[in-house]
Amino acid sequence: MFLDFFDTLKRKGIDVSMTEWLTLMDALDKGLIESNFTKFYYVSRMILVKSESDYDKFDMAFSEYFKDVKSEDAALKRVLEWLDKGDQMEFDKQNQQMYSFSQTRNSDEVKRLFRERLAEQNSEHNGGNHWIGTAGGSAFGHHGRNLGGIRVGEFGGMQSAFQVMGAHKYQDFRNDRVLNYRQFQVAFRRLRQYSSRLDVPKTELDIDGTIDKTCENGGYLQLEFDRPRKNTVKLLLLFDCGGTMIPFMELCNELFQAVHKANHFKDVQTYYFHNCIYSKVYKTAECEIGEWVDLDYLFRHYDKDYKVIIVGDAQMAPEELLDKNGNYRGPNDGLSGYEWCQLLTQKYKKCVWLNPRYHRELTRMHWMESEDKLAKLFHMYLLSVDGLKDAITYLLKTK
Amino acid sequence: MNTKFTGSKDYVASEELMAAVDIAIALEKPLLIKGEPGTGKTMLAEAISQSMGKDLYIWNIKSTTKAQDGLYVYDTIQRLYDSQFGEEGVDDIAHYIKLGKLGEAFKANKQVILLIDEIDKADLEFPNDLLWELDKMEFYIHETHETVKANERPIVIITSNAEKELPDAFLRRCIFHYITFPDREQMTEIVHAHFENLEENVLKNALDTFYWIRSIKDVRKKPSTSELIDWIRALTISGIDPEHLREQLPFLGVLLKKDEDLEAVKKAKLY
Repeated sequence: MFLDFFDTLKRKGIDVSMTEWLTLMDALDKGLIESNFTKFYYVSRMILVKSESDYDKFDMAFSEYFKDVKSEDAALKRVLEWLDKGDQMEFDKQNQQMYSFSQTRNSDEVKRLFRERLAEQNSEHNGGNHWIGTAGGSAFGHHGRNLGGIRVGEFGGMQSAFQVMGAHKYQDFRNDRVLNYRQFQVAFRRLRQYSSRLDVPKTELDIDGTIDKTCENGGYLQLEFDRPRKNTVKLLLLFDCGGTMIPFMELCNELFQAVHKANHFKDVQTYYFHNCIYSKVYKTAECEIGEWVDLDYLFRHYDKDYKVIIVGDAQMAPEELLDKNGNYRGPNDGLSGYEWCQLLTQKYKKCVWLNPRYHRELTRMHWMESEDKLAKLFHMYLLSVDGLKDAITYLLKTK
Repeated sequence: MNTKFTGSKDYVASEELMAAVDIAIALEKPLLIKGEPGTGKTMLAEAISQSMGKDLYIWNIKSTTKAQDGLYVYDTIQRLYDSQFGEEGVDDIAHYIKLGKLGEAFKANKQVILLIDEIDKADLEFPNDLLWELDKMEFYIHETHETVKANERPIVIITSNAEKELPDAFLRRCIFHYITFPDREQMTEIVHAHFENLEENVLKNALDTFYWIRSIKDVRKKPSTSELIDWIRALTISGIDPEHLREQLPFLGVLLKKDEDLEAVKKAKLY
């Protein structure tokens, strides 16, 4: 049943498995849908979709597949009924004060616009409801910013399937993921180095110690405890936030999330730079001038055991890297970017550079000069799951 | 006893959520609940247990929790100790098998509700380690060669804050529901469930201010339902004039927990 719907979902990028599909069929068999179209929408969504970021895709697939099903009328009637109560609507007085600058609309005009828009939607038919639904800035939004606007889309109870779909309520949750960020997390799990010389209570049973002590004790049991082994890896992350990195923002974000949600590191510090590392690194991803700390500060506060992961595309003009005045966005403090990078590698023995557009396989071109130089200085890997795995292997090597 | 979940006196559930609970029960699958903090994920299980009159077993997950902890623990050390002093029952391993929450829920005589709270706190592989147990509702105790099998499949509710991505194999076995942040209408209902006679005036102004604060972009940690409830409680006790809530913003510390956020709200107020 509905096998085409299954295909449609797959095509829209929702990873539906046979197991889930059979569960849905089971639900249909058991009569849980009660021959109710709206209920079918909800039930199929809760069984087939496992992340709120896919709700939007599901809505699109659903409306595409079931576009010929008529169920609009009830919704429309409800909207119109509501509209008739418009006269009794009370404006939010505080909002009026707070946003007194906002455009006042004549309520008749709003109504006219509303009817017009409804008519247009009618002609467009399915999936167009979002015009009225959640259009934040328009007169028909439901966050009440616009004085005298009409508030739509907050009906109680279960909404008609098309209304919900049309509202694109879950659009914000969408994130088309290039890479599975779970894979990043799995890779980071390998970045562990254990040590038991830490200041934590002795909570783990020490088998050898217990045997020794028990023997000494004439065979009567005497338990010995030891400190649990803890991961000692400390990380210093440096992200490039220059313009050429914008296409990779999503990817960097996933890496960032993966590191920060891994709770097994002893410490994680994150700083940002613009194009190349100079005498200062920024505290926030916006790289605002002044919001920075000296590289020296890092050297003083984070000891040499920190493992450094730099994420950047190493795309810069040779003079930006090599000239003593190459930093066009801040101070150089007497050294070129290259020399600052050298200082970094001298302080921290384990530095890797993850590059989302690493050109290792290509013939060398003139414009790759900076990348080449940096790749010689740092261990450079492609920013991908495999590249990350290689980088971590290198970071864990003792030699 | 109810067979359908209809929300409870203190818990206002959307119809979608109620439907999700019903479907999960009917299909005998775990129900995975995700949503912003403060949308009442944990309270859902309590509400179901109340409204259906079933016992609730809560298994709180921490970063150190292992799947095995939920099944059973063999207390070897206790046994070793006891053997030294010739205590009775040392020869019976079953004495030293202590069931975890999952085990307890399986062993119960009637159908119970099992809440696995904040499953994403645990190790990445944790959910995978429970696949078989949640599918078959049984597990094997190696030490006593005993199989613990649920007489009545417990209703399993799992909550997640999305701190970690859950493995696919696990997700495929669940019914998923995402609790969106309650809109004004639902919120009014929720607040009414907590306060019996709240003045309309207080409620309206409090909600206005609350949703206004949530709409400020710079506020990082947005206040949630539980904070709103505390705030309204503070407002009613102090008897502050509700007309001037937005200008005065009293007890803001109840709603916002971060210095930066307090600053952001004050800044937004100026405009």
